[in-house]
Amino acid sequence: MAARIEAAVALTSRGPRKPAARRLADTAAGACLTYAGRQPSDVDMLINTGLYREDNMGEPALAALVQEDIGASPGHLPAGGHGTFSFDLLNGTCGVLNAIQLEAGMLRSGVIGLGAVVASDVDPDGKARRPAMFQPAGGALLLGWDDSADGFTDFGAETFPEYADLFVSGLVWQEERRPGRRPGGRRRPRGRSRMVVDTRPGYHGRLVDCAEESAWRFLHRRGMEPGDIDLLVLAPAGPDFCDPLRIRLGIPGDRVAYVSEELENAYTTGPIAALQAAIRSGRLAEARTTLLLAAGAGITVTMALYRQAQGC
Amino acid sequence: MTQTRSTEPGRWLALESLSPGSAQGCRIESVGVKLPARMLTTRELMSRTRHRTRIQLERLTGIHERHVVDPGENSFTLAAGAARDCLAHSGHRAADIEMVISSSITRSKGEASQSFEPPLSMYVKLAIGTPGAVNFDISNACAGMLTGVFLLQDMIARGEIRCGMVVSGEYISHLSWNAARQVRSLFSRQLASLTLGDAGAAVILERAPEGAAGIDVIGFTTLAEHSRLCLAFPSTVGPGAQMYTKSRTIQKVAIDELAPLVAEAIGEAGIDIADIDYLIPHQTSARAIRKGTEEFARRLGARPKHVVVNLEEYGNTSSTTLFVALHKYLEERRLGKGDRVMLLALASGIEIGMAIFTIDDQVDRYGRTH
Repeated sequence: MAARIEAAVALTSRGPRKPAARRLADTAAGACLTYAGRQPSDVDMLINTGLYREDNMGEPALAALVQEDIGASPGHLPAGGHGTFSFDLLNGTCGVLNAIQLEAGMLRSGVIGLGAVVASDVDPDGKARRPAMFQPAGGALLLGWDDSADGFTDFGAETFPEYADLFVSGLVWQEERRPGRRPGGRRRPRGRSRMVVDTRPGYHGRLVDCAEESAWRFLHRRGMEPGDIDLLVLAPAGPDFCDPLRIRLGIPGDRVAYVSEELENAYTTGPIAALQAAIRSGRLAEARTTLLLAAGAGITVTMALYRQAQGC
Repeated sequence: MTQTRSTEPGRWLALESLSPGSAQGCRIESVGVKLPARMLTTRELMSRTRHRTRIQLERLTGIHERHVVDPGENSFTLAAGAARDCLAHSGHRAADIEMVISSSITRSKGEASQSFEPPLSMYVKLAIGTPGAVNFDISNACAGMLTGVFLLQDMIARGEIRCGMVVSGEYISHLSWNAARQVRSLFSRQLASLTLGDAGAAVILERAPEGAAGIDVIGFTTLAEHSRLCLAFPSTVGPGAQMYTKSRTIQKVAIDELAPLVAEAIGEAGIDIADIDYLIPHQTSARAIRKGTEEFARRLGARPKHVVVNLEEYGNTSSTTLFVALHKYLEERRLGKGDRVMLLALASGIEIGMAIFTIDDQVDRYGRTH
C-alpha cells in the first residue's frame, strides 16, 4: 500500500507566444489529467513547485490560478461535491520531491484521494538583453493511492549549508536611471525589481559531490547498495549531473532515466521530466526499486524510493 | 487517528480529524513571536500619503498602530527571532526539530527584497541550530502558517516525524509605503495595503502525549474561482511589492462561503459553534470581522463565546496574524486549560483554512514575561 504515480507529463514552450509559467503549468496539468483518464475535479490537493515566473507574482499562490485554469473545483460549494486545496512549495529543483512526500502522506492518511504536483519556470527577467537564465518548461504529476501495490516508500533530505552561497537568487530593487515623465506626460517607473541569480564557480561540481554523499547515506541507512537500484531518476536531468553521479555510485548508464535534449535544462520541472522519460521508456514499470534524487540550491539533496514488487 | 477523505460526498475541505488524546494526536506545543520595536500609527502613515485622501483609515479598520521594521530588520530576522522565541517557550531543544517549514509571503534577506534560493527555511534552521532538519518554504498568501501546520500535523500524526516548526517572518510594511504613494481615495484597490504591519511568528508542533488535548480538526480548501481578487506583484514605485485587492468582493465571498465550511469542520469535531471558546480569525479590519461574525452566527444559529481582534495594535500582519493573536492571548493568560480555540485563515486564492484545538499545559509556559 503506497502512493503511486498515475501519470507524469513534462513539456517545453512551443509556438510564437512568449512563454508564461502559468500557461506551461496549465498545459502540463491538462495533458497529465487526460493521460491518466482523470477529471480536474478528481484532484484533491494541488501543489505548485515552480519558482521563476515572468511576473514574479507574490500572491496568490500560483497553484490557485492553475486550479482555476484547469477547472478543478473552482468554487460555489455544491451539495455532494468536494473541493481542491492548492498552495505553492518553494525549494528549487528539490521542490517536486518535497511535494510528492507531502502528497504521499496525505494519501496515506486518507485526507486526499488524488494529488497533483505541477512545476514550471520561465526567464524571470525577460526584458534583460542576455541569454535566458532558465529554460521555459512545465510539468505535472498525478499521485493516487493503491491498496494492493507498492509505490513511494522512503523519503530523505539533506542540506549542505556550507555551500549555500554557491547559488543564490532573489529580487533586488534597481532605481530607474531617468526618473520623471515620459513624452506625453506618463510617469516613468521609479525603478523595478530585477531577478539576480548568482551562480559561483564550482557549484555544479559540488552538487554532484553532495548528491553522491547523500545517496550513499540514504541507501546505507536502509541496508541497501547502489546495486539494489534498478533505475535512477535524477534532477538536474542533464548528463553533466547524471553521468558523474551514476559513475561514482557505480550504476550503469542503462539504469538512468535520461531525458530528451529539449528538457535537459528544465529547472523545477526536472524531476517530472526524468519521471516522464522513465515512464515512456517502460523502465519505471520494469524496475523493482527506483531511486529518485534531486539536488539544488542550499545545497539541498532530496531522495525517494519507489518500489514495485512486480518489477522484473 | 480518525481518517477523513475529502472525496466523500458532501466534503469540501481537505480535512483531517484526530481523536483527542489519541496516541497519534498532534498538538501545538509552543508559539513564539518577534515584533519590531518601532511603531507606526495610522495617523502618521496617512499623513505621508502623496495625495490628500480624506480616508479615515483608523475608524474604518480599527487599526491604531502597527509594528514596522527598522533598518537591518527583514523577513529573515523576524522569522529567526520568532523561531528563537518559540524555542524559549518550548520544552524542546532546537535539535529536536525534525522539519522547518517557512511560510512567509515576503522573503526579504540581505539586499534581496524577495529571496528565492536557497529557501528562507534553510537560513532559519541554521539560525536556531538545527541543521539536520528537513526544510522547505511554502507560499499560500495569508494562510501560509496555517497551511504549514496542516502539512506538519499530518506527518506528526502518522509518526513520520515527532516534532517540527512552522515559521514566518513578514516585513510587509513596504506595501504600505508603496500604496501611500498611489492611493487617492477610499475606492483604491491598494487600500488594504495601508493596513499591514510587520511581525514574525513561529509554532512548534509535536505528538500529543497520551491523554493530552491536541488538534481536533484541521482543514483547508481553495475557492479558485476567486483567485484573482487579491494580487501582489513587485512594485515599480519603490522596493518591495504592490497589492491590488477587491476587498468588498472578498468579504462577500467569505460571508457566503465560510458558514458551510465551518459547519463541516465543527461537524467533524462533533461540536457546535457555541462550543468554541475563542475564535481567532484572520485580522483584516475590525468592521469586516464584526460583520462576518454576525452573518456567521445568523447562518449557524449560534456564535463562538469570544472573537479575538487585535488589529488596534498590530494591524494585518499577513501570514502571521493567527499566531500573533494566539501568542498574545497566551501571554496575557486569557486562555486557560480546556479552552477550545478555532483558528480561521482567509487568504487570497481564495484560501480558507481552519483548525480547532484545545488548550492544554502549554499555557503554563506563558505569562511570566507579560
